[in-house]
Amino acid sequence: MSKDVLVIGGGIAGIQASLDLADMGIKVHLVERLPSIGGKMAQLDKTFPTNDCAI
Amino acid sequence: MPANKSDDIRIGVFICHCGSNIAGYLDMEALGSYAESLPHVAFVQRNLYTCSEGGINEIKKAIGEKNLNRVVVASCTPRTHEPLFRSSCAEAGLNPYLFEMVNIRDQCSWVHMQEREDGTSKAKDLIRMGVAKAALLEPQNPIMSEVTPRAMIIGGGIAGMTAALALANRGYEVVVVERSDRLGGMLLNLNKLGPSMADAAELAEKTVKAVSCHPKITVFTGSSVTGVQGFIGKYSADIETPAGAKKIDLGVIIVATGARNLVPAGLFQYEGEKIVTQLELETRLKKGLASSLKDFVMIQCVGARNEERPYCSRICCQTAVKNALLIREQAPGSKVTILYRDMQMYGVENEEMFRDSKARGIRYVNYDPEKPPRVEGSSVVVYNALLGREMKLPFDLLALSTPLLSQEDSDETGKLLRVPVDENGFFLEGHVKLKPLDFATDGVFLCGSARFPANVREAVAQGLGAASRASIPLSKGSVVVEPIISVLANEDACRGCGLCVALCPYGALEIHKTEKGRKVRVIDVACKGCGVCAATCYQHALTINSFTDDQIEAQIGAFLG
Amino acid sequence: MLDVGRHPNIRLLAYSELEKIEGEAGNFKATVRRKARYVEEDKCTGCGACKEKCPTVVPDSFNEGLGTRKAIYSYFAQGIPSTHTIDPDHCRQLNGKKCGVCAKTCQAKAINFEQKDRIVEIQVGSIIVAAGYDVFDPKSIPEYRYGEIPNVVTAIEFERLLSASGPTSGHLDRPSDRALEAELEEVEKKVERSRKALDKYEEKYGEKSIDFITKFRAGQYGDDSDKAKWAEKYEEFLPLEKSYEDLKQKVSGITVAKRLAFVQCVGSRDFRFYPFCSGYCCMHSIKEAIIAHEHERETASTIFGMDIRAVGKGFEEYKIRGGNHSNITYVRGRVAEITEGPGRNPVVTYEDTKERKVKSQEFDMVILATACAPTRGIAELAKTLGVELDKYNFIKTSPLSPVDTTVPGIFVCGCAQAPMDVPESVAQASSAAARAAEIAFQSDLEKERAVAC
Repeated sequence: MSKDVLVIGGGIAGIQASLDLADMGIKVHLVERLPSIGGKMAQLDKTFPTNDCAI
Repeated sequence: MPANKSDDIRIGVFICHCGSNIAGYLDMEALGSYAESLPHVAFVQRNLYTCSEGGINEIKKAIGEKNLNRVVVASCTPRTHEPLFRSSCAEAGLNPYLFEMVNIRDQCSWVHMQEREDGTSKAKDLIRMGVAKAALLEPQNPIMSEVTPRAMIIGGGIAGMTAALALANRGYEVVVVERSDRLGGMLLNLNKLGPSMADAAELAEKTVKAVSCHPKITVFTGSSVTGVQGFIGKYSADIETPAGAKKIDLGVIIVATGARNLVPAGLFQYEGEKIVTQLELETRLKKGLASSLKDFVMIQCVGARNEERPYCSRICCQTAVKNALLIREQAPGSKVTILYRDMQMYGVENEEMFRDSKARGIRYVNYDPEKPPRVEGSSVVVYNALLGREMKLPFDLLALSTPLLSQEDSDETGKLLRVPVDENGFFLEGHVKLKPLDFATDGVFLCGSARFPANVREAVAQGLGAASRASIPLSKGSVVVEPIISVLANEDACRGCGLCVALCPYGALEIHKTEKGRKVRVIDVACKGCGVCAATCYQHALTINSFTDDQIEAQIGAFLG
Repeated sequence: MLDVGRHPNIRLLAYSELEKIEGEAGNFKATVRRKARYVEEDKCTGCGACKEKCPTVVPDSFNEGLGTRKAIYSYFAQGIPSTHTIDPDHCRQLNGKKCGVCAKTCQAKAINFEQKDRIVEIQVGSIIVAAGYDVFDPKSIPEYRYGEIPNVVTAIEFERLLSASGPTSGHLDRPSDRALEAELEEVEKKVERSRKALDKYEEKYGEKSIDFITKFRAGQYGDDSDKAKWAEKYEEFLPLEKSYEDLKQKVSGITVAKRLAFVQCVGSRDFRFYPFCSGYCCMHSIKEAIIAHEHERETASTIFGMDIRAVGKGFEEYKIRGGNHSNITYVRGRVAEITEGPGRNPVVTYEDTKERKVKSQEFDMVILATACAPTRGIAELAKTLGVELDKYNFIKTSPLSPVDTTVPGIFVCGCAQAPMDVPESVAQASSAAARAAEIAFQSDLEKERAVAC
């Protein structure tokens, strides 16, 4: 039995899932196809409806 | 006293360009050289993004190489970025509370986009003030506190029950407080759930049973929360139950109080018989429609997307389409017409159901809010905005799609838990984009229609999500509390009058007897650092860490030059 | 994002792909291929000196090909990890040519051309699929002529044009104008080269080219071969100079784009492509129009859509605010065709359904709100995992178990499940985490579960 979790994809959803689990004390392996995580959201300039920056 | 140490103070100022969010509107070079001219400033650097890994490494490097003992970052809002900069200071061996943040984005470049010179000069003022305060900052140490491994969930609808099960399945004790006399919430009033047409009663029964007989869950129906004291990890709740008052210790709280349906009194001649709400139509569909009903009309956005209630209630369009399909199933020869402004059939399943409804002969008429439909006897007269002419639609049953409203007492619940509600009375999450299920107040979470109207699928997802968020402090077993709190800086000055105790919204102050007489005492972990006590104390005995009188006066002094 | 890189409980395997899954809930074995970056992750400091020296320029996929990067690159400025990567398709050294400039530049000695892909095996109890989505390629809609008319761009390309860290530093420079500027630069270089060659002759013979050519044409220099070459150079120079002047004229007239058209449902709610609604695009367009107006107060935007779906918290209010304060006009109608008018201005032909008229309007730029398409490779990933897909190729779930896939122990969140916006993705990510955590702690709880009714 293993408690670890594999997360596939390092966009905003994968990042949030990883952080939640890691904060619960669970070891997470986050696999991302591209050289850096961030996904589509990192490509956004600002986000609705607060116009806060995306990063 | 800090003033004596002034010779040793070496402040590093990091000015963020935020790409061009700041640099596009302010004179960054001028800000840089201005910061260099300020007292105690030993190092100034401008970064394209101070928050990037590169920017953070620059801060860490400068703390070591330039012997900095205070750091000021002039960039965006501390709400999103202060924790990052603080922990970066800590990683470089500097006490994280020797950090000050200046917001030159929201307060300068954003609001003064068209006034480069004035915006720049305001940024200079703010940086000067930040530097003046930074020089007087003192190191602080975080406060650790244990977490009681129990969660309270307010509201026993589908969102609350889902959250309860998820936490209980993880082994935590859960208390569910439901106002009405049975679990199930809005689900109990629904017929079928679109688009799968699953039976609402079946889901309710299954979930209620799982919650009721879970050994880790205690359910209080017909009960309400009347008082909440404490803070993350150490809450204590007063619950009024039919069996009397109870006091329960908790670690975390989830708000799942749901929403209520607007009753459209005075609108479209609503009377609850021939002219009903969608929710009332659900009940009729559950019982089976009378065979005499042939013509059905529905009106969308009744009492919504107007001046009084500007928001779109998200789920009324899908509800109307679902009910229209069910009408056609129960009364095959019937005619159903939906009068709408925009059909909000977002996503995969909704749009599919929408398309399907058109194929099954449901008719849609676009109306203009400037020329709203009106009821004339047993007909609705509507100006068809796409055909450009008026139509008369006779009806046997008229269904009005009314929005979900926040609970009447959401304001009071908010005050009880010290969490905010928005202008529509829905609970306001920590960050609408990135923290949809957290409150700004630590240890309190939200899900379901208490946050914003949600369908069952969304409520279930949010219930699970809130459980995930709430389980973080529970599984850690302890939390670290911000040390920016009230301190009795001058015990001799305190006369033990108790004025502050009466005003503290968090119950974080108490009077105790000492050798020198009655004095106030701060309960560190309960204090939120709001500053009410410090502002009230006429003896200036209480002060707030990192917001001392000296520090604030230095800021004001710097501003006035 | 930075938190992920710093969290002690997260092992980040970027530039990696899942190859195989064996086992079952509580006991999966995952095989992951860590692709060779040709840069040692533990040595690279992310300083970027290498990419400055790298001679090979490549279109930048992070900026949707609107900008360029080098063959050694960091994916984007704030990327985590900041480790640089060599693009094996374009690197000269890796393609057998002589180079290695990056290795010479790197002080950390992080470049390793011999690096190979590595296979790692990981034991996990559960899996969360957050594989995201792809932006629909509007080239498949012939009537919008994306890819042919330069000033028709996608919403995500427009996002990069608006971004301060994007290829235009946040100025709304039109692609056609940027191409014109690039052409001017090219021609300017040619003119300079040609001018230099002429200068040499002028110095050599002590005569201006313009005087020389008159005499040469009059036959005064006979058939002196050196002079003939001079004349030839000068004849080449003349049209070059003319086109340079013309271009300069054109470029001086360039202004930023101020009349914007946003076309909704590009690939969505369209039977030819994706019949579903992508959910977030209406709000995305409104946001882009508001930000564009913030950049330049004279900007006026028109959003063409069937229904403007502003269904989230504060969204309807945001839409109205956009209309009132940011010069946005909402037109109810589907765009039939986009053509190109004078000045490379795209012309939008549409039916205004409220006025029941077919109209045409000229804009500086058209932005296509493209559908949220299932990500390429999702079918293969689903096969590897053994999970079922729905008919559109999103990962199948049931409405009442919104993050459970058809395989126990494998969960899904975000746009891999269905199109959704950021707060929904974030909420769903937490839901998936809750389900995965239930599995992680299951063994501890089996006794307690046994007594549940």
